[in-house]
Amino acid sequence: MEHKSEENLRLLQLEFVGKILAGFTHDIKNYIAIIKESAGLIEDIIKIEKTPKNKSEQYIEIIRSIEEQIQKTNDLFRYLNRFAHRMDTQLAAFNINESLEELFALIQRVANQKKITLARDFQRDIPSVYSNPSIFQFLIFSFLEERMTNLDKNSIITVKTGIKGSSVGVNISSEGVLRVGQDVQAMIPPEIRTFALQKLTGDISESNGNILITLPVSR
Amino acid sequence: MPQTKILLVDDEIEFASALAERLQLRNYEVRTAHKALEALAIINDFLPDVVVLDLKIPGMDGIETLKTIKKIDPTIEVIMLTGHGDKWSVEAGMKSGAFEYIMKPVEIGELTAKIDKAMKQRLTER
Repeated sequence: MEHKSEENLRLLQLEFVGKILAGFTHDIKNYIAIIKESAGLIEDIIKIEKTPKNKSEQYIEIIRSIEEQIQKTNDLFRYLNRFAHRMDTQLAAFNINESLEELFALIQRVANQKKITLARDFQRDIPSVYSNPSIFQFLIFSFLEERMTNLDKNSIITVKTGIKGSSVGVNISSEGVLRVGQDVQAMIPPEIRTFALQKLTGDISESNGNILITLPVSR
Repeated sequence: MPQTKILLVDDEIEFASALAERLQLRNYEVRTAHKALEALAIINDFLPDVVVLDLKIPGMDGIETLKTIKKIDPTIEVIMLTGHGDKWSVEAGMKSGAFEYIMKPVEIGELTAKIDKAMKQRLTER
């Protein structure tokens, strides 16, 4: 009973974080839109209203740089906004490739710091699955975090997606050297595995440092 | 093609004024509104060809505003503008007669391409 209450509390906390993040990212997107239009307007004034050339080229270069940074920021916030909205519903139809891309974008900095390559081998035109989108990301994140902690630099973690009968499978494997003292079999923490199996509508199997998650195709 | 008349509806005043000025520099005739009722009042007076409509404006739900615009004149083309990753609102808008949608922040070239396409559509419908 106590365990159940704690679990519910954790879910509520996650939903809360999701809501806060959704509002935050929405506001930030609006601010960025204003900055982008202001920068764009300066560029238009220089280009269309013909300011002296030597000055205008310099202005345009600076403005392009600002716009490029804004675009990168916007892309990241777009991923964060989608990530937050994954918590809107417990069960939903979603595209696994998009969900993984979003997660990768948000953890790419950690992978770069550890000099670990996150390789994608996604099947194109994959059907949507019906499962718990936020728990799916939580599970993938838990596994990737564990691998990134235990693998030495220059390792590669490959995430492959594909159709398996009436399910979609996600296979995660890694190539590289484990850090000293780490166990190749050390996988998803058991409490997270149990929690994920309760919430997902699919299956999880692990062997030799690989993980395979299968989720049913949405009807 | 005659000069396109655009009504830009967005509650972010700075965003709307900067975007309006950029469109004016590209030879569009632009008016702005920051609330739904203000937008509907301007439509009757200004008679825009295209309305660029933020789905989250105060005063009336964005989809309701879109439906009202289409009731006033079904040939006015509406391009929905949204800062949300809210695909349900976009789907509802498209079902309610919107011509297109565009996400914030806006790429000016993408927006003008959609406006020009909407204007062509309006000219064929009139």
